[in-house]
Amino acid sequence: MHADLGGLQGRLENIVGAEYVSADPEVTARFAVDGVKPGLTVRPGTQDEVSKVAATCSAAGATMIPWGGGTAMGLGNRPSSADAVVQLDRLDRIVEFDAANLCVTVEAGMRLGALQETVAEKKELLPIDPPADSKVTMGGLVATNQSGPGRLLYGTVRDWLLGMRVVLPDGQRIRCGGRVIKNVSGYDMNKLFIRSLGTLGILTEVTVKLLPLPVKRTAMVSLFPELSQATAAVGKVLESFLLPEALDVLNPEAMTLLAPSLELTAPAGSWGLAVSLAGSRETVDRQERDFAALFRDGGGVVTPLQDGRTVPAWDAIRNVFDLLPAPPAQRVLCKIAVSISRTGEMLAAAGALGERLGLSATVVAHAGSGVVWAAFPLGRTAPPEALLAEALEGLRAKAVATGGSLVLQAAPANLKARMDAWGKPGEGFDVMRRLKAEFDPRGLCNPGRFVGGI
Amino acid sequence: MAQKALVEELRKIVGEKNVLHSDVDMQLYQYDACLQERRPDAVAFVHSTEEVAGVVKVCNKLGVPFVPRGGGTNLSGGTIPIKGGVVVEMIRMNRILEVDRANLRARVQPGLFNLELGTALAPLGYQYLPDPASQKAATLGGNVAENSGGPHCFKYGVTTNHVLGMTVVLPDGQVATIGGKAPDTPGYDLTGVFVGSEGTLGICTEVVVRIMRLTEGVKTLLAIYDSIEEGSESVSAIVAAGMVPATLEMMDQLVIQAVEASIHCGLPLDCATVLIIEVDGLKDDLEAQTQAIVDLCKAHGAREVRVAKDDAERAMLWAGRRGAFGAVARLAPSYLVCDGTVPRTALPQVLRKVAEVGKKYDLRIPNVFHAGDGNLHPLILFDWRDAEQKARVMKAGMEILELCVELGGTISGEHGVGLEKIDAMRLVFTEADIHSQVRVKKAFDPRDLANPGKMFPVPAEVLSAR
Repeated sequence: MHADLGGLQGRLENIVGAEYVSADPEVTARFAVDGVKPGLTVRPGTQDEVSKVAATCSAAGATMIPWGGGTAMGLGNRPSSADAVVQLDRLDRIVEFDAANLCVTVEAGMRLGALQETVAEKKELLPIDPPADSKVTMGGLVATNQSGPGRLLYGTVRDWLLGMRVVLPDGQRIRCGGRVIKNVSGYDMNKLFIRSLGTLGILTEVTVKLLPLPVKRTAMVSLFPELSQATAAVGKVLESFLLPEALDVLNPEAMTLLAPSLELTAPAGSWGLAVSLAGSRETVDRQERDFAALFRDGGGVVTPLQDGRTVPAWDAIRNVFDLLPAPPAQRVLCKIAVSISRTGEMLAAAGALGERLGLSATVVAHAGSGVVWAAFPLGRTAPPEALLAEALEGLRAKAVATGGSLVLQAAPANLKARMDAWGKPGEGFDVMRRLKAEFDPRGLCNPGRFVGGI
Repeated sequence: MAQKALVEELRKIVGEKNVLHSDVDMQLYQYDACLQERRPDAVAFVHSTEEVAGVVKVCNKLGVPFVPRGGGTNLSGGTIPIKGGVVVEMIRMNRILEVDRANLRARVQPGLFNLELGTALAPLGYQYLPDPASQKAATLGGNVAENSGGPHCFKYGVTTNHVLGMTVVLPDGQVATIGGKAPDTPGYDLTGVFVGSEGTLGICTEVVVRIMRLTEGVKTLLAIYDSIEEGSESVSAIVAAGMVPATLEMMDQLVIQAVEASIHCGLPLDCATVLIIEVDGLKDDLEAQTQAIVDLCKAHGAREVRVAKDDAERAMLWAGRRGAFGAVARLAPSYLVCDGTVPRTALPQVLRKVAEVGKKYDLRIPNVFHAGDGNLHPLILFDWRDAEQKARVMKAGMEILELCVELGGTISGEHGVGLEKIDAMRLVFTEADIHSQVRVKKAFDPRDLANPGKMFPVPAEVLSAR
């Protein structure tokens, strides 16, 4: 299956040094994608080396899988081929931190957590909170456009990205955008590569704008006996002047998992509505009062998560799936994206599907953004794949009927074999295929993992 | 070219009265506010997605280029049909199709003026944020094509941050709905690629935009300075203090004098520059923010800082800023708008150098600019009837763009490349960069029929060759 890897390995070693190329089965096994083991892994140390690696792989007809923090490798379909995993972990340097202009340029392998530490020294922040936010690399973040609860106020990295450098599959290096806030010089090439899952090239450098660190931060969670009460409260918030950072609805299973971390007792069947607030002291204090009143009026029981509790509590809420007892390999994680007003409905549908299958689904909605995350743990009681796939396709059909989508963020390979991770490609797919053909005519970058077999 | 056959075919799609082709009409559609001109072969007024698709299919059948036209306010020649063909006049597709408050979205047609959307949303308590200064005459379709900015984008982003989906007629006449009210449609971000593509990837016929609640409070300040450096330093100081104002706009003395002569909004004629600052959001800290800004401006040399007391005063300050481009027309028969952008802290440096360029070429260059996001608009004054002067203007304009690029910036912040900045593309992009953009063009428009002759400094054969 693999291209002429014997010769390739030597040529790659000449570029990056022998210690940074490995075909050792024990190493390559750790870089399997949905069970597909790469022929070798290569760790270029500079952007120029990435370019040479790509050119060399391309000349050998070898397929390439870019690998950043490895936090989203479960996303997408099983690759049709994996000759070389191109690890970007050595590209972890700050290229330029221009604090006065609220802007930072980093190599693509830099982890978001490390970037945040650096910019925090100048009281700045990239307000993006994707899953696994300390480990995810900037390149990975851009290639997936993953987002977290803070999307409500801050959007996604798409809204903060000013420029990048990309190595095309044939090794050519190109620059997209720049480092100024407004830039309409030519096409907005950043958008072509964002969330393209490394299928058009390898991202090597990213420039983002930053925000001054808010002076104060707090959070609270309110418990509601009924989902309808929680969604009604969300509706009221969205109609108000209030500007929360995040507004997450958590299903009873999620609340049960979270109760110890939040130091509260959640009566069985309670739905949670968690809100995070940031800004000046005056606006945070005022919103804290207003939210508490709004939740109580809607039948909620409010627990403030103040001062020292704010950060750990909010981290627990953001990463609730980490609290699941089943290991990641034994669960299906779906992201359902719908219009804002449909989030409650999808939240309920995902929970009900779990019940029907005898799986206790943990479901969280970023309620003001239209994003619902649902995790289904697969223990020994898991239903057969065919049944599971059919049920999930039913849930997907509901989302699609409202103009939305359901994407498998992670799932066992045997489920992926029965179910496309992205669903049926939408309109404009012909253009997508032609874009792929223009940038990667031989299908060498991440083949088969993306939408419609791209 | 067989104009007669083209007109016949177009009439079948949009009806006889909606096709223009007379000499006089073609003269009227041969220009916008840039310095080049070219007559189209016909103009088709369209009223629906189906009509747009029909017109584009006719163009495909006859191998004729097409250029969508909204308000024509881009200032870079984006709407000039430089290769002839059909101008697709979008202005009658101007309805708001839906205001969906529950989903914080609106669905609009592309011929709608930006300001009309704002005017319709305000009584409901909502707003659409990108607000180019030309919003009275600029259409949303044009905003999409140019990825327009405006004074509020320092805090709220540009058009691309507020467009979630659209219906487009692709260059082969196929209709596709891309993106939408739900986020994260799987696949490449075609919506993001389309925004800012200057009509070269197809024609958008419906746009889904984000709407936001009107903010609870807003404060508008005017800071007056005797030196332009003090003004730009104040801008950096405000940002360094951790504040994110909604707008940070500057005008220099020449602009102020022109604005005063035409709008009479009470700006002092003897100052070097004024800074218009707006903070918005929850009302609780606006007083404190306003006071902090007043103090910072004064500490950096402002001779006076005025805070608008009410909506009328606020409107007056904005009328001055929004009327600036129009008012400058009093100073000379024509002007060239440079649209370069630099990192904000490079503003004082670039402004000094712009003044030097003015001296070198013996040209007057008033400045009005978005200081918060480093987007300057030196307006090079001249008389279009004076060919020698015009040649100096073009040189000076290019030199200013070179300066912006040297200081870490770029050649266009919001007005687009169009015809005017084709050569300047090479200042910021390598051959490989440009060729990668050409690949996008080819994926969408392999026959190079959608607004051809724009943006790319490459021969036409490269764009249409397979």
